[in-house]
Amino acid sequence: MATYVTTKHSPLFPIFMILILVITLFPIYWIVVTSLKTPLENILPVPTLYPHKFTLENYHKVLFGGSLHNLWNSVFVTAASTLLSLALGFLSAYALVRYRFPLKFNVVFLVWIIIVKMLPPVVLAVPLYEMFAKMKLINNLWGLVLIFQVYTLPYCIWMLYGFLKSLPLEFEEAAEIDGASRLQIVRLIVFPLVQTGVIATAIFSIIVAWDEFLFSMLFIRSPELQTLPLAIVSYIGEFETLWGQLMAISVLAIIPIIVFVRFVYREMTSAYSLGLK
Amino acid sequence: MKSTGKTRGKALFYWSILLPALIVMLWLTLYPMITVFLTSFQNYNYISGRRSWIGLGNYRNILTDRVFLTSFWNTIVFCFSTTFLEVFLGTVLALVFYGNFRGKSVFTILLILPMMLSTMVVSAIWKTLFHYDIGLLNTILSSLGLARVGWLIDPHLALWSIVLVDVWQWTPFAFIVMQAGLSSIPQEVFEASVVDGASYRQRLFRITLPILRDQILILCLLRTIDTFKIFAKVFALTGGGPGNATETTSLFVYREAFQYFNLGRSSAASMITLSAVVLMSVFYLRKMLNPKEA
Repeated sequence: MATYVTTKHSPLFPIFMILILVITLFPIYWIVVTSLKTPLENILPVPTLYPHKFTLENYHKVLFGGSLHNLWNSVFVTAASTLLSLALGFLSAYALVRYRFPLKFNVVFLVWIIIVKMLPPVVLAVPLYEMFAKMKLINNLWGLVLIFQVYTLPYCIWMLYGFLKSLPLEFEEAAEIDGASRLQIVRLIVFPLVQTGVIATAIFSIIVAWDEFLFSMLFIRSPELQTLPLAIVSYIGEFETLWGQLMAISVLAIIPIIVFVRFVYREMTSAYSLGLK
Repeated sequence: MKSTGKTRGKALFYWSILLPALIVMLWLTLYPMITVFLTSFQNYNYISGRRSWIGLGNYRNILTDRVFLTSFWNTIVFCFSTTFLEVFLGTVLALVFYGNFRGKSVFTILLILPMMLSTMVVSAIWKTLFHYDIGLLNTILSSLGLARVGWLIDPHLALWSIVLVDVWQWTPFAFIVMQAGLSSIPQEVFEASVVDGASYRQRLFRITLPILRDQILILCLLRTIDTFKIFAKVFALTGGGPGNATETTSLFVYREAFQYFNLGRSSAASMITLSAVVLMSVFYLRKMLNPKEA
Protein backbone atom coordinates (compact mmCIF):
# COMPACT_ATOMS: atom_id res chain seq x y z
CA MET A 1 0.00 0.00 0.00
CA ALA A 2 1.28 3.39 -0.93
CA THR A 3 1.47 5.86 1.86
CA TYR A 4 1.18 9.50 1.07
CA VAL A 5 4.12 10.93 2.92
CA THR A 6 7.40 9.12 3.43
CA THR A 7 9.01 11.61 5.81
CA LYS A 8 8.28 9.30 8.75
CA HIS A 9 11.02 6.91 7.77
CA SER A 10 13.58 9.67 7.64
CA PRO A 11 15.87 10.01 10.66
CA LEU A 12 14.99 13.69 10.69
CA PHE A 13 11.38 12.88 11.54
CA PRO A 14 11.85 12.24 15.29
CA ILE A 15 14.21 15.20 15.56
CA PHE A 16 11.64 17.47 13.93
CA MET A 17 8.95 16.06 16.17
CA ILE A 18 10.95 16.78 19.30
CA LEU A 19 11.80 20.26 18.08
CA ILE A 20 8.13 21.07 17.53
CA LEU A 21 7.24 19.69 20.95
CA VAL A 22 9.95 21.74 22.64
CA ILE A 23 8.83 24.98 20.95
CA THR A 24 5.24 24.27 21.87
CA LEU A 25 5.69 23.07 25.41
CA PHE A 26 8.66 25.02 26.67
CA PRO A 27 6.71 28.17 27.61
CA ILE A 28 4.24 25.99 29.53
CA TYR A 29 7.11 24.25 31.30
CA TRP A 30 8.49 27.70 32.07
CA ILE A 31 5.24 28.74 33.76
CA VAL A 32 5.41 25.79 36.13
CA VAL A 33 9.12 26.11 36.79
CA THR A 34 8.96 29.84 37.44
CA SER A 35 6.13 29.35 39.90
CA LEU A 36 8.31 26.97 41.91
CA LYS A 37 11.37 29.22 42.17
CA THR A 38 12.14 31.68 44.95
CA PRO A 39 11.64 35.39 44.13
CA LEU A 40 15.40 35.85 44.22
CA GLU A 41 16.08 33.04 41.78
CA ASN A 42 13.54 34.53 39.37
CA ILE A 43 15.42 37.78 38.95
CA LEU A 44 18.88 36.32 38.45
CA PRO A 45 20.56 37.88 35.40
CA VAL A 46 20.93 34.39 33.92
CA PRO A 47 17.68 32.40 34.42
CA THR A 48 18.04 28.89 35.79
CA LEU A 49 16.44 26.13 33.75
CA TYR A 50 14.94 24.39 36.77
CA PRO A 51 14.36 25.52 40.35
CA HIS A 52 17.66 25.20 42.24
CA LYS A 53 15.78 25.84 45.42
CA PHE A 54 12.34 24.32 45.15
CA THR A 55 9.63 26.30 46.98
CA LEU A 56 5.86 26.45 47.31
CA GLU A 57 6.09 29.94 48.76
CA ASN A 58 4.55 31.56 45.68
CA TYR A 59 1.48 29.35 45.84
CA HIS A 60 1.17 29.99 49.53
CA LYS A 61 1.35 33.76 49.03
CA VAL A 62 -1.04 33.75 46.12
CA LEU A 63 -3.64 31.47 47.67
CA PHE A 64 -3.74 33.33 50.98
CA GLY A 65 -3.31 36.72 49.36
CA GLY A 66 -6.71 36.81 47.71
CA SER A 67 -6.33 34.71 44.58
CA LEU A 68 -8.65 32.10 45.98
CA HIS A 69 -11.33 34.78 45.65
CA ASN A 70 -10.33 35.38 42.05
CA LEU A 71 -10.50 31.68 41.33
CA TRP A 72 -13.92 31.39 42.91
CA ASN A 73 -15.20 34.47 41.02
CA SER A 74 -14.00 33.01 37.74
CA VAL A 75 -15.58 29.65 38.47
CA PHE A 76 -18.89 31.24 39.49
CA VAL A 77 -19.15 33.61 36.53
CA THR A 78 -18.07 30.96 34.04
CA ALA A 79 -20.49 28.35 35.37
CA ALA A 80 -23.46 30.68 35.69
CA SER A 81 -23.03 32.30 32.29
CA THR A 82 -22.58 28.92 30.61
CA LEU A 83 -25.71 27.51 32.24
CA LEU A 84 -27.73 30.57 31.26
CA SER A 85 -26.45 30.43 27.68
CA LEU A 86 -27.16 26.72 27.42
CA ALA A 87 -30.74 27.14 28.60
CA LEU A 88 -31.50 30.10 26.34
CA GLY A 89 -29.48 28.69 23.48
CA PHE A 90 -31.02 25.24 23.58
CA LEU A 91 -34.60 26.49 23.52
CA SER A 92 -34.05 29.09 20.83
CA ALA A 93 -31.98 26.75 18.64
CA TYR A 94 -34.72 24.14 18.87
CA ALA A 95 -37.32 26.72 17.81
CA LEU A 96 -35.13 27.80 14.89
CA VAL A 97 -34.63 24.22 13.72
CA ARG A 98 -38.24 23.04 14.03
CA TYR A 99 -40.32 26.08 13.18
CA ARG A 100 -40.34 28.37 10.19
CA PHE A 101 -40.85 31.87 11.54
CA PRO A 102 -42.42 34.45 9.22
CA LEU A 103 -40.39 36.88 7.06
CA LYS A 104 -37.34 34.61 6.83
CA PHE A 105 -36.71 35.39 10.46
CA ASN A 106 -34.72 32.17 10.96
CA VAL A 107 -32.06 33.23 8.49
CA VAL A 108 -31.99 36.82 9.72
CA PHE A 109 -31.48 35.65 13.29
CA LEU A 110 -28.67 33.25 12.37
CA VAL A 111 -26.87 35.87 10.28
CA TRP A 112 -27.15 38.27 13.18
CA ILE A 113 -25.59 35.67 15.46
CA ILE A 114 -22.64 35.18 13.17
CA ILE A 115 -22.11 38.93 12.90
CA VAL A 116 -22.10 39.23 16.69
CA LYS A 117 -19.62 36.36 16.89
CA MET A 118 -17.27 38.21 14.57
CA LEU A 119 -17.65 41.60 16.19
CA PRO A 120 -14.82 43.04 18.28
CA PRO A 121 -16.62 43.23 21.65
CA VAL A 122 -15.16 46.63 22.45
CA VAL A 123 -17.54 48.05 19.86
CA LEU A 124 -20.47 47.33 22.19
CA ALA A 125 -18.71 48.41 25.36
CA VAL A 126 -19.87 52.01 25.72
CA PRO A 127 -23.65 51.57 25.37
CA LEU A 128 -23.52 48.42 27.46
CA TYR A 129 -21.59 50.22 30.15
CA GLU A 130 -24.14 53.03 30.30
CA MET A 131 -26.98 50.53 30.37
CA PHE A 132 -25.45 48.42 33.12
CA ALA A 133 -24.53 51.49 35.14
CA LYS A 134 -28.17 52.60 35.11
CA MET A 135 -29.25 49.15 36.28
CA LYS A 136 -26.64 49.08 39.05
CA LEU A 137 -25.01 46.03 37.52
CA ILE A 138 -21.51 47.49 37.46
CA ASN A 139 -19.13 45.90 39.94
CA ASN A 140 -21.47 42.98 40.34
CA LEU A 141 -20.76 39.38 39.42
CA TRP A 142 -24.32 38.85 38.19
CA GLY A 143 -23.75 41.76 35.83
CA LEU A 144 -20.75 39.88 34.44
CA VAL A 145 -22.86 36.75 34.03
CA LEU A 146 -25.28 38.78 31.93
CA ILE A 147 -22.65 40.59 29.89
CA PHE A 148 -20.87 37.32 29.10
CA GLN A 149 -23.97 36.38 27.12
CA VAL A 150 -22.58 38.62 24.40
CA TYR A 151 -19.93 35.94 23.84
CA THR A 152 -21.43 32.71 25.05
CA LEU A 153 -25.01 32.97 23.79
CA PRO A 154 -24.22 33.31 20.05
CA TYR A 155 -21.71 30.51 20.50
CA CYS A 156 -24.24 28.22 22.16
CA ILE A 157 -27.07 28.98 19.75
CA TRP A 158 -24.81 28.34 16.77
CA MET A 159 -23.38 25.06 18.05
CA LEU A 160 -26.66 23.68 19.36
CA TYR A 161 -28.37 24.65 16.12
CA GLY A 162 -25.92 22.37 14.32
CA PHE A 163 -26.50 19.47 16.69
CA LEU A 164 -30.29 19.80 16.68
CA LYS A 165 -30.41 20.09 12.92
CA SER A 166 -28.82 16.67 12.49
CA LEU A 167 -31.54 15.08 14.62
CA PRO A 168 -34.11 12.96 12.74
CA LEU A 169 -37.71 14.07 13.09
CA GLU A 170 -39.22 10.59 13.62
CA PHE A 171 -38.80 10.37 17.39
CA GLU A 172 -40.61 13.63 17.95
CA GLU A 173 -43.42 12.68 15.56
CA ALA A 174 -43.89 9.33 17.27
CA ALA A 175 -44.03 11.01 20.66
CA GLU A 176 -46.54 13.53 19.36
CA ILE A 177 -48.80 10.73 18.11
CA ASP A 178 -48.52 9.10 21.52
CA GLY A 179 -49.96 12.32 22.94
CA ALA A 180 -46.91 13.90 24.52
CA SER A 181 -47.05 17.66 24.98
CA ARG A 182 -44.51 19.88 23.23
CA LEU A 183 -42.67 20.60 26.44
CA GLN A 184 -42.53 16.89 27.26
CA ILE A 185 -41.12 16.18 23.81
CA VAL A 186 -38.34 18.73 24.31
CA ARG A 187 -37.55 17.55 27.80
CA LEU A 188 -37.87 13.78 27.43
CA ILE A 189 -37.03 13.10 23.77
CA VAL A 190 -34.95 15.91 22.25
CA PHE A 191 -32.75 16.81 25.18
CA PRO A 192 -31.49 13.27 25.91
CA LEU A 193 -30.78 12.77 22.19
CA VAL A 194 -28.48 15.79 21.92
CA GLN A 195 -26.93 15.42 25.35
CA THR A 196 -23.42 14.92 24.02
CA GLY A 197 -23.88 17.99 21.83
CA VAL A 198 -24.97 19.99 24.85
CA ILE A 199 -21.88 18.87 26.76
CA ALA A 200 -19.65 19.81 23.84
CA THR A 201 -21.27 23.22 23.66
CA ALA A 202 -20.92 23.68 27.40
CA ILE A 203 -17.19 22.98 27.29
CA PHE A 204 -16.52 25.43 24.49
CA SER A 205 -18.63 28.03 26.24
CA ILE A 206 -16.65 27.45 29.46
CA ILE A 207 -13.40 28.03 27.61
CA VAL A 208 -14.71 31.28 26.10
CA ALA A 209 -16.05 32.60 29.40
CA TRP A 210 -12.93 31.61 31.34
CA ASP A 211 -10.81 33.65 28.94
CA GLU A 212 -12.93 36.83 28.98
CA PHE A 213 -11.05 39.97 29.84
CA LEU A 214 -12.41 43.20 28.33
CA PHE A 215 -15.84 43.42 29.96
CA SER A 216 -14.50 42.06 33.24
CA MET A 217 -11.97 44.86 33.26
CA LEU A 218 -14.54 47.55 32.46
CA PHE A 219 -17.31 46.31 34.72
CA ILE A 220 -15.46 45.18 37.85
CA ARG A 221 -13.99 47.70 40.25
CA SER A 222 -13.29 46.05 43.59
CA PRO A 223 -10.28 43.72 43.84
CA GLU A 224 -12.32 41.12 45.71
CA LEU A 225 -14.66 40.74 42.72
CA GLN A 226 -11.90 40.37 40.13
CA THR A 227 -11.73 37.26 37.99
CA LEU A 228 -8.45 35.44 37.32
CA PRO A 229 -7.54 37.23 34.06
CA LEU A 230 -7.87 40.56 35.88
CA ALA A 231 -5.69 39.35 38.73
CA ILE A 232 -3.05 38.28 36.21
CA VAL A 233 -3.09 41.64 34.47
CA SER A 234 -2.76 43.55 37.70
CA TYR A 235 0.28 41.42 38.50
CA ILE A 236 1.80 42.09 35.09
CA GLY A 237 1.30 45.82 35.58
CA GLU A 238 2.04 46.51 39.20
CA PHE A 239 4.59 44.01 40.40
CA GLU A 240 6.81 43.72 37.44
CA THR A 241 9.14 41.11 38.76
CA LEU A 242 7.01 39.03 41.09
CA TRP A 243 7.12 36.38 38.42
CA GLY A 244 6.80 33.47 40.80
CA GLN A 245 3.44 34.66 42.06
CA LEU A 246 2.31 35.69 38.59
CA MET A 247 3.05 32.20 37.31
CA ALA A 248 1.42 30.57 40.34
CA ILE A 249 -1.82 32.41 39.51
CA SER A 250 -1.39 31.37 35.89
CA VAL A 251 -1.17 27.74 36.95
CA LEU A 252 -4.43 28.22 38.87
CA ALA A 253 -5.98 29.60 35.68
CA ILE A 254 -4.68 26.76 33.53
CA ILE A 255 -5.71 23.71 35.55
CA PRO A 256 -9.52 23.95 35.33
CA ILE A 257 -9.34 24.31 31.53
CA ILE A 258 -6.56 21.92 30.63
CA VAL A 259 -8.65 18.94 31.77
CA PHE A 260 -10.76 19.38 28.63
CA VAL A 261 -7.87 19.06 26.20
CA ARG A 262 -8.59 15.50 25.01
CA PHE A 263 -12.18 16.40 24.52
CA VAL A 264 -11.40 19.54 22.51
CA TYR A 265 -9.06 17.52 20.33
CA ARG A 266 -11.72 14.94 19.54
CA GLU A 267 -14.48 17.50 19.00
CA MET A 268 -12.38 19.62 16.65
CA THR A 269 -11.14 16.67 14.66
CA SER A 270 -14.68 15.58 13.93
CA ALA A 271 -15.96 19.12 13.39
CA TYR A 272 -13.36 19.92 10.74
CA SER A 273 -13.34 16.68 8.80
CA LEU A 274 -14.16 17.19 5.15
CA GLY A 275 -16.88 14.59 5.15
CA LEU A 276 -15.29 12.70 2.27
CA LYS A 277 -14.76 9.50 4.18
CA MET B 1 -61.32 25.08 13.46
CA LYS B 2 -59.29 22.62 15.45
CA SER B 3 -56.36 22.73 13.05
CA THR B 4 -56.06 26.52 13.15
CA GLY B 5 -56.07 26.31 16.92
CA LYS B 6 -53.32 23.76 16.67
CA THR B 7 -51.15 25.85 14.36
CA ARG B 8 -51.65 28.84 16.59
CA GLY B 9 -50.66 26.76 19.60
CA LYS B 10 -47.60 25.62 17.71
CA ALA B 11 -46.63 29.16 16.76
CA LEU B 12 -47.16 30.31 20.32
CA PHE B 13 -45.00 27.51 21.68
CA TYR B 14 -42.08 28.17 19.36
CA TRP B 15 -42.25 31.92 19.79
CA SER B 16 -42.25 31.55 23.54
CA ILE B 17 -39.15 29.33 23.63
CA LEU B 18 -37.35 31.62 21.19
CA LEU B 19 -38.27 34.79 23.04
CA PRO B 20 -35.85 34.70 26.02
CA ALA B 21 -32.79 34.35 23.78
CA LEU B 22 -34.21 36.86 21.32
CA ILE B 23 -34.73 39.45 24.03
CA VAL B 24 -31.23 38.97 25.41
CA MET B 25 -29.71 39.27 21.94
CA LEU B 26 -31.72 42.39 21.07
CA TRP B 27 -30.95 43.96 24.40
CA LEU B 28 -27.24 43.16 24.53
CA THR B 29 -26.29 43.48 20.88
CA LEU B 30 -28.85 45.14 18.60
CA TYR B 31 -29.74 48.02 20.88
CA PRO B 32 -26.08 48.90 21.66
CA MET B 33 -25.23 48.66 17.99
CA ILE B 34 -27.97 51.14 17.04
CA THR B 35 -26.81 53.44 19.83
CA VAL B 36 -23.24 53.30 18.55
CA PHE B 37 -24.43 54.01 15.03
CA LEU B 38 -26.37 57.08 16.15
CA THR B 39 -23.62 58.32 18.47
CA SER B 40 -21.12 58.15 15.64
CA PHE B 41 -22.87 61.18 14.09
CA GLN B 42 -22.80 63.16 17.32
CA ASN B 43 -20.32 65.16 19.29
CA TYR B 44 -20.79 63.51 22.66
CA ASN B 45 -18.56 63.91 25.66
CA TYR B 46 -19.38 61.62 28.54
CA ILE B 47 -18.04 63.96 31.23
CA SER B 48 -19.89 67.10 30.21
CA GLY B 49 -22.85 65.03 29.02
CA ARG B 50 -23.27 67.41 26.07
CA ARG B 51 -24.29 65.99 22.73
CA SER B 52 -24.97 67.57 19.37
CA TRP B 53 -25.42 66.27 15.85
CA ILE B 54 -22.41 66.89 13.67
CA GLY B 55 -23.11 64.68 10.68
CA LEU B 56 -20.03 63.00 9.30
CA GLY B 57 -17.68 65.13 11.39
CA ASN B 58 -16.44 62.25 13.54
CA TYR B 59 -15.71 60.11 10.52
CA ARG B 60 -13.79 62.90 8.80
CA ASN B 61 -11.97 63.51 12.03
CA ILE B 62 -11.08 59.87 12.57
CA LEU B 63 -10.05 59.12 9.02
CA THR B 64 -7.51 61.92 9.07
CA ASP B 65 -6.27 61.05 12.55
CA ARG B 66 -2.79 59.55 12.35
CA VAL B 67 -3.26 57.50 15.49
CA PHE B 68 -6.37 55.85 14.12
CA LEU B 69 -4.78 55.20 10.75
CA THR B 70 -1.74 53.69 12.46
CA SER B 71 -3.96 51.51 14.60
CA PHE B 72 -5.95 50.37 11.58
CA TRP B 73 -2.78 49.58 9.65
CA ASN B 74 -1.32 47.71 12.62
CA THR B 75 -4.49 45.66 12.93
CA ILE B 76 -4.39 44.77 9.23
CA VAL B 77 -0.69 43.84 9.40
CA PHE B 78 -1.20 41.80 12.54
CA CYS B 79 -4.33 40.12 11.21
CA PHE B 80 -2.94 39.06 7.86
CA SER B 81 0.56 38.10 8.95
CA THR B 82 -0.63 35.92 11.83
CA THR B 83 -3.27 34.30 9.65
CA PHE B 84 -0.78 33.61 6.89
CA LEU B 85 1.89 32.23 9.22
CA GLU B 86 -0.51 30.10 11.22
CA VAL B 87 -2.24 28.58 8.21
CA PHE B 88 1.06 28.00 6.41
CA LEU B 89 2.78 26.40 9.41
CA GLY B 90 -0.33 24.44 10.35
CA THR B 91 -0.57 23.02 6.84
CA VAL B 92 3.11 22.10 6.74
CA LEU B 93 2.84 20.37 10.11
CA ALA B 94 -0.29 18.51 9.05
CA LEU B 95 1.49 17.28 5.92
CA VAL B 96 4.60 16.20 7.80
CA PHE B 97 2.64 14.42 10.51
CA TYR B 98 0.15 12.80 8.14
CA GLY B 99 -0.72 9.15 8.65
CA ASN B 100 -0.10 6.93 11.62
CA PHE B 101 2.96 6.78 13.77
CA ARG B 102 3.59 5.76 17.34
CA GLY B 103 2.30 8.20 19.91
CA LYS B 104 0.44 10.30 17.39
CA SER B 105 -2.58 11.14 19.52
CA VAL B 106 -0.45 12.01 22.54
CA PHE B 107 1.74 14.15 20.32
CA THR B 108 -1.25 16.00 18.88
CA ILE B 109 -2.85 16.53 22.26
CA LEU B 110 0.38 17.98 23.65
CA LEU B 111 0.59 20.20 20.60
CA ILE B 112 -2.81 21.81 21.14
CA LEU B 113 -2.12 22.78 24.76
CA PRO B 114 -1.18 26.41 23.91
CA MET B 115 -4.58 27.19 22.41
CA MET B 116 -6.28 25.97 25.58
CA LEU B 117 -4.53 28.57 27.74
CA SER B 118 -6.23 31.86 28.61
CA THR B 119 -4.97 34.87 26.69
CA MET B 120 -3.78 36.43 29.92
CA VAL B 121 -1.74 33.38 30.91
CA VAL B 122 -0.13 33.39 27.49
CA SER B 123 0.60 37.10 27.74
CA ALA B 124 2.06 36.70 31.22
CA ILE B 125 4.47 33.96 30.23
CA TRP B 126 5.67 35.74 27.09
CA LYS B 127 6.04 38.97 29.00
CA THR B 128 8.60 37.23 31.20
CA LEU B 129 10.30 35.47 28.28
CA PHE B 130 10.57 38.79 26.39
CA HIS B 131 11.99 40.73 29.34
CA TYR B 132 14.94 42.83 28.18
CA ASP B 133 17.32 42.24 31.08
CA ILE B 134 16.42 38.90 32.63
CA GLY B 135 14.14 37.32 30.05
CA LEU B 136 15.12 33.91 28.73
CA LEU B 137 15.17 34.85 25.04
CA ASN B 138 17.68 37.65 25.53
CA THR B 139 19.78 35.46 27.80
CA ILE B 140 19.98 32.87 25.04
CA LEU B 141 20.85 35.55 22.48
CA SER B 142 23.59 37.06 24.60
CA SER B 143 25.05 33.68 25.48
CA LEU B 144 25.31 33.05 21.74
CA GLY B 145 27.23 36.30 21.50
CA LEU B 146 24.36 38.19 19.86
CA ALA B 147 22.96 41.55 20.84
CA ARG B 148 19.99 41.72 23.17
CA VAL B 149 16.70 42.53 21.46
CA GLY B 150 14.04 44.90 22.77
CA TRP B 151 11.23 42.48 22.00
CA LEU B 152 8.45 44.62 23.39
CA ILE B 153 10.21 47.99 23.68
CA ASP B 154 11.59 48.38 20.17
CA PRO B 155 8.91 50.17 18.09
CA HIS B 156 9.93 48.31 14.93
CA LEU B 157 9.79 44.94 16.59
CA ALA B 158 7.02 45.07 19.19
CA LEU B 159 4.18 44.26 16.79
CA TRP B 160 6.12 41.28 15.42
CA SER B 161 6.74 40.00 18.92
CA ILE B 162 2.98 39.96 19.44
CA VAL B 163 2.61 38.20 16.09
CA LEU B 164 5.06 35.61 17.38
CA VAL B 165 2.99 35.04 20.50
CA ASP B 166 -0.20 34.62 18.53
CA VAL B 167 1.48 32.24 16.09
CA TRP B 168 2.79 30.20 19.00
CA GLN B 169 -0.67 29.99 20.52
CA TRP B 170 -2.83 29.42 17.44
CA THR B 171 -0.77 27.43 14.93
CA PRO B 172 -1.95 24.29 16.76
CA PHE B 173 -5.52 25.22 15.83
CA ALA B 174 -4.58 25.47 12.16
CA PHE B 175 -2.72 22.18 12.51
CA ILE B 176 -5.74 20.33 13.90
CA VAL B 177 -8.10 21.74 11.28
CA MET B 178 -5.75 20.84 8.42
CA GLN B 179 -5.03 17.43 9.90
CA ALA B 180 -8.73 16.69 10.17
CA GLY B 181 -9.23 17.72 6.55
CA LEU B 182 -6.21 15.83 5.30
CA SER B 183 -7.02 12.59 7.05
CA SER B 184 -10.54 12.57 5.67
CA ILE B 185 -9.26 12.40 2.07
CA PRO B 186 -9.64 8.75 0.99
CA GLN B 187 -6.34 6.89 0.55
CA GLU B 188 -7.45 5.69 -2.91
CA VAL B 189 -7.01 9.19 -4.30
CA PHE B 190 -3.31 9.13 -3.42
CA GLU B 191 -2.84 5.52 -4.46
CA ALA B 192 -4.27 6.25 -7.88
CA SER B 193 -1.90 9.14 -8.34
CA VAL B 194 1.07 7.02 -7.27
CA VAL B 195 0.10 4.38 -9.82
CA ASP B 196 -0.05 7.14 -12.42
CA GLY B 197 3.51 8.04 -11.50
CA ALA B 198 2.91 11.45 -9.93
CA SER B 199 5.77 12.85 -7.88
CA TYR B 200 5.27 14.09 -4.32
CA ARG B 201 5.28 17.68 -5.45
CA GLN B 202 2.77 17.03 -8.22
CA ARG B 203 0.50 15.21 -5.78
CA LEU B 204 0.74 18.06 -3.31
CA PHE B 205 -0.03 20.89 -5.72
CA ARG B 206 -2.35 19.12 -8.15
CA ILE B 207 -4.35 16.90 -5.78
CA THR B 208 -4.00 17.46 -2.06
CA LEU B 209 -4.06 21.23 -1.85
CA PRO B 210 -6.88 21.66 -4.41
CA ILE B 211 -9.02 19.19 -2.44
CA LEU B 212 -8.26 21.12 0.75
CA ARG B 213 -8.89 24.52 -0.85
CA ASP B 214 -12.17 25.21 0.92
CA GLN B 215 -10.77 23.96 4.21
CA ILE B 216 -7.84 26.37 3.93
CA LEU B 217 -10.18 29.21 3.03
CA ILE B 218 -12.44 28.59 6.02
CA LEU B 219 -9.42 28.35 8.27
CA CYS B 220 -8.06 31.66 6.95
CA LEU B 221 -11.40 33.33 7.57
CA LEU B 222 -11.71 31.96 11.10
CA ARG B 223 -8.26 33.24 11.96
CA THR B 224 -8.75 36.61 10.24
CA ILE B 225 -11.97 37.24 12.10
CA ASP B 226 -10.41 36.26 15.38
CA THR B 227 -7.15 38.19 15.02
CA PHE B 228 -8.92 41.32 13.80
CA LYS B 229 -10.44 41.67 17.28
CA ILE B 230 -7.06 41.57 19.02
CA PHE B 231 -7.26 43.43 22.30
CA ALA B 232 -6.27 41.53 25.44
CA LYS B 233 -2.85 40.37 24.20
CA VAL B 234 -1.77 43.85 23.15
CA PHE B 235 -3.25 45.36 26.28
CA ALA B 236 -1.23 43.05 28.52
CA LEU B 237 1.99 42.88 26.53
CA THR B 238 2.59 46.46 25.40
CA GLY B 239 -0.52 48.52 26.14
CA GLY B 240 -0.31 49.79 22.55
CA GLY B 241 3.21 51.11 22.96
CA PRO B 242 5.97 51.96 22.54
CA GLY B 243 4.42 55.16 21.22
CA ASN B 244 1.62 53.89 19.00
CA ALA B 245 3.67 51.07 17.55
CA THR B 246 1.27 48.32 18.58
CA GLU B 247 -1.96 50.30 18.81
CA THR B 248 -4.86 48.34 17.28
CA THR B 249 -8.36 49.49 16.39
CA SER B 250 -9.92 47.77 19.40
CA LEU B 251 -7.43 49.53 21.66
CA PHE B 252 -8.14 52.84 19.92
CA VAL B 253 -11.90 52.47 20.45
CA TYR B 254 -11.30 51.56 24.09
CA ARG B 255 -9.03 54.53 24.72
CA GLU B 256 -11.23 57.10 23.01
CA ALA B 257 -14.21 55.93 25.04
CA PHE B 258 -12.84 55.04 28.45
CA GLN B 259 -9.83 57.32 28.75
CA TYR B 260 -10.69 60.41 26.68
CA PHE B 261 -14.50 60.06 26.91
CA ASN B 262 -14.94 61.08 23.27
CA LEU B 263 -17.87 58.80 22.67
CA GLY B 264 -18.59 60.24 19.23
CA ARG B 265 -15.11 59.53 17.94
CA SER B 266 -15.05 56.14 19.62
CA SER B 267 -18.37 55.23 17.99
CA ALA B 268 -17.20 56.34 14.56
CA ALA B 269 -14.08 54.19 14.96
CA SER B 270 -16.34 51.32 16.03
CA MET B 271 -18.48 51.69 12.92
CA ILE B 272 -15.42 51.70 10.66
CA THR B 273 -14.10 48.56 12.37
CA LEU B 274 -17.50 46.94 12.12
CA SER B 275 -17.81 47.58 8.41
CA ALA B 276 -14.33 46.17 7.85
CA VAL B 277 -15.32 42.98 9.70
CA VAL B 278 -18.58 42.63 7.79
CA LEU B 279 -16.81 43.24 4.49
CA MET B 280 -14.25 40.55 5.25
CA SER B 281 -16.87 38.07 6.24
CA VAL B 282 -19.41 38.31 3.44
CA PHE B 283 -17.88 35.23 1.92
CA TYR B 284 -17.79 33.46 5.27
CA LEU B 285 -21.45 34.24 5.89
CA ARG B 286 -22.43 32.77 2.54
CA LYS B 287 -20.42 29.66 3.27
CA MET B 288 -21.91 29.17 6.73
CA LEU B 289 -25.46 29.53 5.50
CA ASN B 290 -25.02 27.38 2.42
CA PRO B 291 -26.93 24.16 3.16
CA LYS B 292 -24.41 22.16 1.11
CA GLU B 293 -21.85 22.78 3.84
CA ALA B 294 -23.94 21.15 6.54
